[in-house]
Amino acid sequence: MNLLDPNPGAKELLLGNEAIVRGALEAGVGFISCYPGTPSSEVPDTFFRLSPKGKYYFEYAPNEKVAMETAGAASLGGVPTLVTMKHVGVNVAADPMMTLAYIGTPGGLVILSADDPGCHSSQNEQDNRYYARLAGLPCFEPSTAQECKDMTREAMELSAKWEQPVMLRTTTRVNHLRGAVNFGEMKPARTRGEFKKNPGRFVPIPAVARVRHKALIANLEKIRSEIEHTSWNRSWGEGSVGVIASGVSRSYLKDVLKSHPEIQVRVLELGIAHPLPENTIKNFLSGLDKVIILEELEPILENDVRILCQKNGLEIEVIGKSDELPLWDEYSTLCVEQALMKTVGLEIKKDLLPAPDISELPGRPPNLCAGCSHRSVYMNVRKIYGDEAIYSSDIGCYTLGILPPLKAADFLLCMGSSVSSGCGMSRVVDNPVVAFIGDSTFFHSGITGLINAVYNNYDLVLVILDNRTTAMTGHQPHPGVDQSLYGGRPGNIEIEPLVRASGVNNVRKVKALNQKAVFEALEQFKKMSGVRVLIAEEPCPLYARRVMGIKRNKIAVVKESGPASLECLNTLACPSFYMEGEKVMINPDSCAGCMVCIQICDEIKPGSRS
Amino acid sequence: MKPLRVFFTGVGGQGTLTATKLLAETALEQNIQVNAGEIHGMAQRGGVVHSFVLLGGYLSPKISQGEADVILGFEPMETIRALSFLKKGGLVLSSEDPVPPISVTTGKQTYPSLDYIKSETLKCSPEARFIPCISLAKQTGVVQTANTVLMGAFFSMGLLPFGLEVLLDSIKKRLKPGLVDVNLKAARLGADFIKEHSG
Repeated sequence: MNLLDPNPGAKELLLGNEAIVRGALEAGVGFISCYPGTPSSEVPDTFFRLSPKGKYYFEYAPNEKVAMETAGAASLGGVPTLVTMKHVGVNVAADPMMTLAYIGTPGGLVILSADDPGCHSSQNEQDNRYYARLAGLPCFEPSTAQECKDMTREAMELSAKWEQPVMLRTTTRVNHLRGAVNFGEMKPARTRGEFKKNPGRFVPIPAVARVRHKALIANLEKIRSEIEHTSWNRSWGEGSVGVIASGVSRSYLKDVLKSHPEIQVRVLELGIAHPLPENTIKNFLSGLDKVIILEELEPILENDVRILCQKNGLEIEVIGKSDELPLWDEYSTLCVEQALMKTVGLEIKKDLLPAPDISELPGRPPNLCAGCSHRSVYMNVRKIYGDEAIYSSDIGCYTLGILPPLKAADFLLCMGSSVSSGCGMSRVVDNPVVAFIGDSTFFHSGITGLINAVYNNYDLVLVILDNRTTAMTGHQPHPGVDQSLYGGRPGNIEIEPLVRASGVNNVRKVKALNQKAVFEALEQFKKMSGVRVLIAEEPCPLYARRVMGIKRNKIAVVKESGPASLECLNTLACPSFYMEGEKVMINPDSCAGCMVCIQICDEIKPGSRS
Repeated sequence: MKPLRVFFTGVGGQGTLTATKLLAETALEQNIQVNAGEIHGMAQRGGVVHSFVLLGGYLSPKISQGEADVILGFEPMETIRALSFLKKGGLVLSSEDPVPPISVTTGKQTYPSLDYIKSETLKCSPEARFIPCISLAKQTGVVQTANTVLMGAFFSMGLLPFGLEVLLDSIKKRLKPGLVDVNLKAARLGADFIKEHSG
């Protein structure tokens, strides 16, 4: 499979995110920026992987705001641009995004917002269709792999045509589905542009902003007329009950109708529902008795339809959010089937299987990997601070430290919050506060919190868990990573001088797996006050093996299983430990050779992998 | 073809997603309409992995409770955890070699007995088959081929509009050259197991 194939005609099975890449390439994308985050990550990662051969410019930004600002300016310079992030990333990028909609984006700017209904890997399930309405962005919502490709292409074209930023709003299921995609023709990538100076448009001082707000509204009206005729909004079927469906709900609806030919409904699929195609919807509603609205999360279309009915004096029963169609979580064929059957007055006949009660089965929560240095640091922090300290956590693999026995996460807000919210907590409670942050997250938005900690004289221990990569989302580089590892120019930004330059005097840097060093540094810190920063450095073991090519041949072996090894098993919760009857053992295949257990337990000794 | 929903369940690191992609790509090559779904991210740290392949014209990227025509269980406890997804008349194909979670390996919880797992599964799928995937994979010399053993068994059972030979071709075409031979062997071992233990 060659996503860079300049010719049309190929038919490939693509991940939704890969299809988005192909769509942008077909539109001649010249500039891409991002901050990775599930479920969006495979979009930038695919551009990154292909970048040696691709003609476009790609970069990972330290955070979403920087990505939006960089990308926004590239489109001001006339280049077709894509910027990608997960839904909560749009919160970080919202400030520049709002202004970009006012001043416009001459080269075209598509903003991928990858939402996560069901919170598969996020701290909330906010519905970013609201952002499209808040900022004034036309919004595309694909439901299949082919649509991911085609809509991305069209979104880029629409954006360039109207010089307005456009949102491509996906959900986890769409980003991570695989389906057949027919490739179209690829325009040559446009990486160079020209900025046409026009301060009366591009510098939104109040006098300009007032005018630009009206220009945005006028543009949205023109786009609305265009959307009235788009093939992404289509109606089919017959009946007095209507269904208006958006996003992935369209797929669930089609599958339900396929297995229930007895259900007769008229369907309006909305692939672009903002700006709202009012005439299309009005025409669709006429003659209906009832209309069901299928949209995951917020009742946005439902409210739009209610307003349309009220304005036009239509007496139609609008069925939206309900027991079957909740405000939370994902939809499914099951809930769509229930809502449809209930509305048309049919009964669901389902033969249920005698599936066993699974509530008592042992769970399988995700765990820190064998050899992960976060485990080593957390264990030492607990040794010194125990349950007394309040642990301010952050977003990354290390959030998995929430589980016993490590219990190293007491509260968490968002990317980069551990430092600043650790400060806020420390000012109002008597407990010591220890904050944890990863290296990528520190560069993302931890630094400003640290500057505040010094500026406002806080009492905080900050542990920077520096595993040399963005581990959770798939080992993307960040400013602290030597770029020559990826064929870039050598060099990286060191965390320690950055911390010192922020005004922190008490800084210690240790090897995260070295028990004595970690313990002593923390013990010293406990006796001090003010801002103290421990940088605990050790490459993520998966990253060390796969990217850095580091092999560890030594492993840990339980020489004599006694109370100390049992204690070790219970304190570390390392997945390589197991019990064979009463004996503690270490699985030689999965042991990563971090040697933390050897340093804390006399019954465990080094051995060789054989 | 008659539409078919295939539900994959296993543990992060077992190659469930590789198997999912292999089936989906093979189906597309055989001109079967296909849609597949995966969940990435946190689950890969030793958690449960569910993925889906829907063949013959479905558009949904996931399978709901009571919808799966086939459950492919790459780990026996995860097989029974997923039984509610099976449709009446559906078939379960499962590994019988446990990958115990950490709560079990560290003695905090007990893994259900294989007899219990099998009898509960047979109540939902009277024709269910249990395959010693890990023990068979060990015969290839590479224990990571356990996922391919199960795929070999699945492809040999006549539920798909294509058979074992198509899987073998697909392995040759799609896997890294160094992994082809062991996986071919693993697929054949799975298919042979079904043949030898039929009827």
